[in-house]
Amino acid sequence: MNPDQHPPEDPEARFRRVFAHLQPVADYAARRGSPDPEAIAAETMAIAWRRLDRVPVDDPRPWLFVTARNLLMAERRQSSRRSQADRALARPEPEAAVESADPAVTRALRTLSERDREALLLVAWEDLSPARAAEALGISPVAFRVRLLRARRRFARSLAADGLPNTPDVLEVKST
Amino acid sequence: MNAMDRLRASRPAPAPVEADRDALFDRIVATPPGGPGARPARRRRKLVLVAAVGLAVTLTAGTAVAVSTNLFGWHTDNTFIKDPRVWRTLYRDATQELRLPPGMVWPSRTLPPHTITNRSEPGGMAVAISQTAWECYWTEAIRAGDPRAARSARAALSDLVRHHIVVAPPGSPENVAPPAGTQPPFEIYASDGGIRYVKHSYALAAAGDPSGVAQSCRANRGDLRIPPVR
Repeated sequence: MNPDQHPPEDPEARFRRVFAHLQPVADYAARRGSPDPEAIAAETMAIAWRRLDRVPVDDPRPWLFVTARNLLMAERRQSSRRSQADRALARPEPEAAVESADPAVTRALRTLSERDREALLLVAWEDLSPARAAEALGISPVAFRVRLLRARRRFARSLAADGLPNTPDVLEVKST
Repeated sequence: MNAMDRLRASRPAPAPVEADRDALFDRIVATPPGGPGARPARRRRKLVLVAAVGLAVTLTAGTAVAVSTNLFGWHTDNTFIKDPRVWRTLYRDATQELRLPPGMVWPSRTLPPHTITNRSEPGGMAVAISQTAWECYWTEAIRAGDPRAARSARAALSDLVRHHIVVAPPGSPENVAPPAGTQPPFEIYASDGGIRYVKHSYALAAAGDPSGVAQSCRANRGDLRIPPVR
């Protein structure tokens, strides 16, 4: 064996590193309004195991969040199919329900588009760097920075319009 | 506090995962892994190719079966009509293919509002009206002792049974349609023995017993104005 080559990592050992993110995935699902975040996290991990060759091990969170988001949308579609009233109002891509600990923040978040809101929350709640958040959204880091900047402005405006004290938004974007 | 700080501070508290993590991990890794080399790409491509060919064969065969069923067998009719004008046209066309007892005129019929039906239904209704009218006429003819009128009714009903009543296969859905080429108008009977009862009552009437046709007349005549036997 070439001494420069590392032996391929045992799949179980590799997966164990991915599985360590079970709690962040459950938190992600809970913050997006899933009624059963643990089930979403467990299913996300099961998919990660089946597609382990596609999961980046250095920081699998973007991949895991994308998978969890897809499962959340499937969960919402199923629940809206179960409800006659929801079916009448069904939209092709149901939006995530977001609840924060601050009612004014929740209201401001609800004024944003799904795209803007997700950009903000991946950074503010899931602690992803802009580069990783861009991965999770499937866009370039540059495009993400632009989206994040606009989302932040809209959010700040909406929060200010809610009549609560607010200072100009001067958050810096940390690079990775 | 600026907006982003406030957003960060509003992050809902995490709810610790209560599931037994070790058990969940063991359960997941007990299934075949999908890691590198678990299923070579070439084999995957081959599987995809086989699946695609299988799907194409299934679809082609399915279409062939569907087409041949539509052409040669009973099938479900999904061509609905909802316009009363179309309904009345089909009904009128059907009445021109059928006969009524002497002196009787076709009653006015139409598609009720907010209703849809399939295209054979107006003709089926015309057949049912003709059948009931002749049954009533036959009943009166027997009771009036008019053999000529009775023979006329018997011939008309035999013609209806032979050419305008079809029996759907057992278990057919409500919107079943007979094989393409079945000449309209026709009434579709369910396969529940009804046609046997009809034929039996006609046989009784032919033997001079109007009880069966009289009962059918009473049950089905509704607003039909049947002229007296002349």
